[in-house]
Amino acid sequence: MAQLANIGELLSMLDSPTLSVRDDVTTIFKESLNSERGPMLVNTLVDYYLETNSQPVLRILTTLQEPHDKHLLDKINEYVGKAATRLSILSLLGHVVRLQPSWKHKLSQAPLLPSLLKCLKMDTDVVVLTTGVLVLITLLPMIPQSGKQHLLDFFDIFGRLSSWCLKKPGHVTEVYLVHLHASVYALFHRLYGMYPCNFVSFLRSHYSMKENVETFEEVVKPMMEHVRIHPELVTGSKDHELDPRRWKTLETHDVVIECAKISLDPTEASYEDGYSVSHQLSACFPPRSADVTASPYVDTQNSCGGATSTPSSTSRLMLFSPAGQLPQSLSSPSTRLLPEPLQATLWSPSMVCGMTTPPTSPGNVPPELSQPYSKAFSTTGGKGTPLGTPATSPPPALACPPDDCVHGSSSQATATPPRKEERTDSSRPYLQRQQYLNDRGLEDPPASKGSVTLGNLSDFLGDLASEEDSIEKDKEEAAISKELSEITTAEADPVVPRGGFDSPFYRDSLSSSQRKTHSAASGTQGSSVNPELLHSSLDKHGPDTPKQAFTPIDPPSGSADASPAGDRDGQTSLETSILTPSPCKIPPQRGVSFGSGQPPPYDHLFEVALPKTACHFVSKKTEELLKKVKGNPEEDCVPSTSPMEVLDRLIEQGADAHSKELSKLSLPSKSVDWTHFGGSPPSDEIRTLRDQLLLLHNQLLYERFKRQQHALRNRRLLRKVIRAAALEEHNAAMKDQLKLQENDIQMWKLSLKNERDRYSQLQGQHDTMVTQLYSQIRQLQHDREEFYNQSQELQTKLEDCRNMIAELRLELKKANNKVCHTELLLSQVSQKLSNSESVQQQMEFLNRQLLVLGEVNELYLEQLQSKHPDTTKEVEMMKTAYRKELEKNRSHLLQQNQRLDASQRRVLELESLLAKKDHLLLEQKKYLEDVKSQASGQLLAAESRYEAQRKITRVLELEILDLYGRLEKDGCLRKLEEDKAEAAEAAEERLDCCSDGCSDSLVGHNEEASGHNGETRTTRPSGPRASYGGRSAGGSSSSSSELSTPEKPPSQRFNSRWETAVGEPSSSIPTTVGSLPSSKSFLGMKARELFRNKSESQCDEDGVTSSSLSETLKTELGRDSGVENKTPFNLDASHPSSPNSDSVGQLHIMDYNETHQEHS
Amino acid sequence: MTDDSQRNFRSVYYEKVGFRGVEEKKSLEILLKDDPLDIEKLCTFSQRFPLPSMYRALVWKVLLGILPPHHDSHAQVMAYRKDQYSDVLHALTVIRFISDTTPQAEVFLRMYQLESGKLPRSPSFPLEPEDEAFLAITKAMEEMVEDSVDCYWITRCFVKQFHSKFRDSLPQLPKAFEQYLNLEDSRLLSHLKTCSAVSKLPYDLWFKRCFAGCLPESSLQRVWDKVVSGSCKILVFVAVEILLTFKIKVMALNSVEKITEFLENIPQDSSDAIVSKAIDLWHKHCGTPVHSA
Repeated sequence: MAQLANIGELLSMLDSPTLSVRDDVTTIFKESLNSERGPMLVNTLVDYYLETNSQPVLRILTTLQEPHDKHLLDKINEYVGKAATRLSILSLLGHVVRLQPSWKHKLSQAPLLPSLLKCLKMDTDVVVLTTGVLVLITLLPMIPQSGKQHLLDFFDIFGRLSSWCLKKPGHVTEVYLVHLHASVYALFHRLYGMYPCNFVSFLRSHYSMKENVETFEEVVKPMMEHVRIHPELVTGSKDHELDPRRWKTLETHDVVIECAKISLDPTEASYEDGYSVSHQLSACFPPRSADVTASPYVDTQNSCGGATSTPSSTSRLMLFSPAGQLPQSLSSPSTRLLPEPLQATLWSPSMVCGMTTPPTSPGNVPPELSQPYSKAFSTTGGKGTPLGTPATSPPPALACPPDDCVHGSSSQATATPPRKEERTDSSRPYLQRQQYLNDRGLEDPPASKGSVTLGNLSDFLGDLASEEDSIEKDKEEAAISKELSEITTAEADPVVPRGGFDSPFYRDSLSSSQRKTHSAASGTQGSSVNPELLHSSLDKHGPDTPKQAFTPIDPPSGSADASPAGDRDGQTSLETSILTPSPCKIPPQRGVSFGSGQPPPYDHLFEVALPKTACHFVSKKTEELLKKVKGNPEEDCVPSTSPMEVLDRLIEQGADAHSKELSKLSLPSKSVDWTHFGGSPPSDEIRTLRDQLLLLHNQLLYERFKRQQHALRNRRLLRKVIRAAALEEHNAAMKDQLKLQENDIQMWKLSLKNERDRYSQLQGQHDTMVTQLYSQIRQLQHDREEFYNQSQELQTKLEDCRNMIAELRLELKKANNKVCHTELLLSQVSQKLSNSESVQQQMEFLNRQLLVLGEVNELYLEQLQSKHPDTTKEVEMMKTAYRKELEKNRSHLLQQNQRLDASQRRVLELESLLAKKDHLLLEQKKYLEDVKSQASGQLLAAESRYEAQRKITRVLELEILDLYGRLEKDGCLRKLEEDKAEAAEAAEERLDCCSDGCSDSLVGHNEEASGHNGETRTTRPSGPRASYGGRSAGGSSSSSSELSTPEKPPSQRFNSRWETAVGEPSSSIPTTVGSLPSSKSFLGMKARELFRNKSESQCDEDGVTSSSLSETLKTELGRDSGVENKTPFNLDASHPSSPNSDSVGQLHIMDYNETHQEHS
Repeated sequence: MTDDSQRNFRSVYYEKVGFRGVEEKKSLEILLKDDPLDIEKLCTFSQRFPLPSMYRALVWKVLLGILPPHHDSHAQVMAYRKDQYSDVLHALTVIRFISDTTPQAEVFLRMYQLESGKLPRSPSFPLEPEDEAFLAITKAMEEMVEDSVDCYWITRCFVKQFHSKFRDSLPQLPKAFEQYLNLEDSRLLSHLKTCSAVSKLPYDLWFKRCFAGCLPESSLQRVWDKVVSGSCKILVFVAVEILLTFKIKVMALNSVEKITEFLENIPQDSSDAIVSKAIDLWHKHCGTPVHSA
């Protein structure tokens, strides 16, 4: 609470008259706002503001920082809901919004916006509506993309308000409606500029309804006359308009300018793209002027510069024209056209502040400059034209009229400036207009006479105040009220600014913004003084700006040129300057007078910003740049904010005047306060006035906002220009460099030429040298050839010599050879000689020896002859003996040889015989083998049979023994004997029956084997000892007989049987020997056969002897084989006798063979 | 070479094409024409080719040594054999070991026993297993050889040769059987082993009776051709082939008794094929016998 109280105190202190206290308190508040985050402080501030309308609090509120915005918006939202506080809170909102706080984007999301829209849809108070719409219009470009949600709301509001304008529901005063209309117009522009497609479709749908047709015809259609076709209508779509991307690149001021671009209304329009408003003016105003008044003044004013014309007209109406004119002029605008001209008259300055001040400033100069130049330099004059623009044109018009008024100058003189300016105006886009305007221009002077600039307005108002008497109250009242009302409402389509007024105010605003916010202090004086000051400043700027903008060269000339004009103007202006600070006249003078005294603080900035080179460059560019440069003058507006104060003051003055009038009206209540008029009818009026004032203020604030946007844009554009200028300068520098380099190139070319010359000279020299050298070379070659020839000759000679030498050498060799040969021969000869010598010596020696030997021989011969031996007979006898002996031997030898041959033949014979014998022997052996194997086979079979027999006998014996055993067991001897008899009988029977009987079952131990042959003997293993014994007795003979005579066996068998029967009666059992004889006989036959076969085969070969031999041999063999076979079984005794003899025989035969051979 | 010149020159091609035995008769005749018969050649021939039935008895007799190689002595030797046969027969009848009613086989058995000195004291004595085998062989032989003397002699010598010549190799036969069965069909052997039937197979029937009574005589004589000519291994292959032929049935049987019973009474219809395959198998494993000369 303490704090609250504290705040209350502080708040009260805020409004303290002392500045320092106020500042301190303000800083305290700001600090506390920085430190505190709660909504409390803001709320109290808002409340306080609503209570007191305190400016410092407003300032604090409008500069609130981020965290508090929500509280503020909430608070505002809260108050918007209440009808009582709605108006004031809306104005607060307007203040806040216009300053474009950093949190402006939050506005779209804040609940405030819907509530504001709702308020606009619901409220019926025109003042509130107008204020709200203005706030909305201000707000729209700040939140373009978020506005789309509420797009339909916007359109609804537009529809509602536009119908309001016409239908005037309730008892709304016309004056309010005018304001409302203006704001609706502005809304129309904004909506059309921002959302053309949507808006047009809305219009189409909304006004296709019957009940709205009238509204369309009356209200909307005229509005549409002031816009051109939006390009988005062609290229864009509904969705594209609402696309956030479209808006992202655009800043607030961009949006504002975008909207201004599509406007044909000179007050609203932007000139950037070369749209000529003058054209529009010409297009728009003529009819209007026709509508308004047929008077040429109006026409010309309109045509020349709408802005100026209106003020002029008004001023003229006010000042010069008698009251009679006023009603006409007022009445006509009031009905329909009023908004434009009337508003313009009063409001032009404020409006121009934003838009058209720049044009005016050039406008100031051009008249002066252009007047002299105009004829001569249409082009240079053209330069000024851009500056002139709608706004500029009036000043001359204004300037001229005074001239006319004062000097009564010729219509030509007056005509020229306007014409020129008109030309300038129109010349840019439309030259055709020129003439038309020129024509009009002729009519201008009168119009311009009456023109009253805003600058004059104060004076005029002052005059009004002073000259009240002269004018009827009612009319004045009416006029003023209308003016005021129109001023407030007409804002939407203000006529082209009147430069003169605009500029001063504008300047004033500049200066005031810079140095005075304290303008309040300057107070009443300021009204008159300020304009002048402002003028002065403007004048300085005036000349400056064109200079900077267009041609730095101009200024001097301009000044020079200005002098005559200045003289001219000077005269006029000097007089009128105080009363009517028309820019045109004042500038030169003030430029001289005040220019040095009060250099504007930013003047030097231009010098810096636009260097000479840039200016130079720009001057060259002339018209191309004009459109761009147009921005520059506008840049002058940059320092804004304060014209509002001027306006405030103006309005205050107006209010004062009005109060005076009121006081006049009601004399008794002169000194009464505003409040005094409370309940009475005048008080009503006052309230309306107040409302109007408020509305007016709102409009003003809106315009100021717009101006700020323009200023922002201007700043950007200026930067671009500066950059362009810098580039130009750079270009120029580059060009200089280029030039320098070209110079260099020239120089180089020159030097190149020199070098070439030198080179050609040198070449010549070189050529001559070369030719000389060539000739030398040729000479030398010639010499060389000569020498060569000589050397050739010499060489041939040399060759000859060499040949000779070779020949000589050959000869020498030959000679040497000869010599050698001869030497050799010589040595040989000498050798031979020596040899022959030695031979001779030997010969001599031999001869001597011969001689000696001969002598010896003779001696021996003598000795021989002396001895004679007689042996020849004996020798002959011996010889003969030898011969005989030799012959004898020879014959012997012959004999021996023959004998040898015979014996050899004999040997051969014998050998062949031997071979035959061997062969025979082999065959015999083979055969023997064969027979042996055959016999062995047979023997094997026989043996097996024998084995079988043995087994049989064994079995039989066993059987017998068994039977014996049984018998013995029985012990019956008789039976035994009977059995024996039976057995004997059986044996006998069997013997009779079969030749080869089986062995008798009754063969006993006592059986005699003596009569049996070897085989039978051997087959009896049982009792062999006894049989052997027996056989040894007479076996030898029997065996031999058996072998030799095979026929015997039967007899022998009998014998043996008998022998056994007789010789061994003890056994008393006749033993029978079975098949032996037969087998024996069989064997024998076989053997005989064999022998016979072999013998026959032998007989064929060897004849009888051999056959006999062989036969014996065979028998022997057969015997042998038989013996051999028997040997294992036979006793040794049987052997020796026969086999020995056989072997002897065999040997004998063999011997015989040999002996036979020997014999043979 | 003389043989080849007299043989049909196509015989080589017959053999190659697979017509075995086309020229065998002729070649056998040629062999038999040799005066001293070449026992070796006859053996080889008998091992390589089936003998023509008309010469079988002669060849067997020669191979078994009943007849000597010399044709000249055949008649005489045969007479000896006959004598011996009648002697033995007579002796047996004398001691009343046999009578007219005694079956031929038993007569032969007694004769054999007598000749080998093993004649029991009484005909009522129980028979030895050897004697059973002899009886079986005799019965088979009776079918093959008409003449009783021949039959006796062949049986006698066959058995004698079997017991003397193959005395060492006979106990090895079961092992060889296992080995070849493993080569041919190890699964079958393993099956037999799992049934523990390997040791209880009818080896007596196979290797002591030489399949007498197991195979019909018409096919049996082809087996005995090989046995007579000196190879007892053929018995092993016949046994293996029997098992292979009846493999599926044997595999189906799990108990030893059933297997043995089945093997002792194998169906007769496929015996010819069994023997042919067995001979092929024998040739495959032991190689075709080639005359060494």
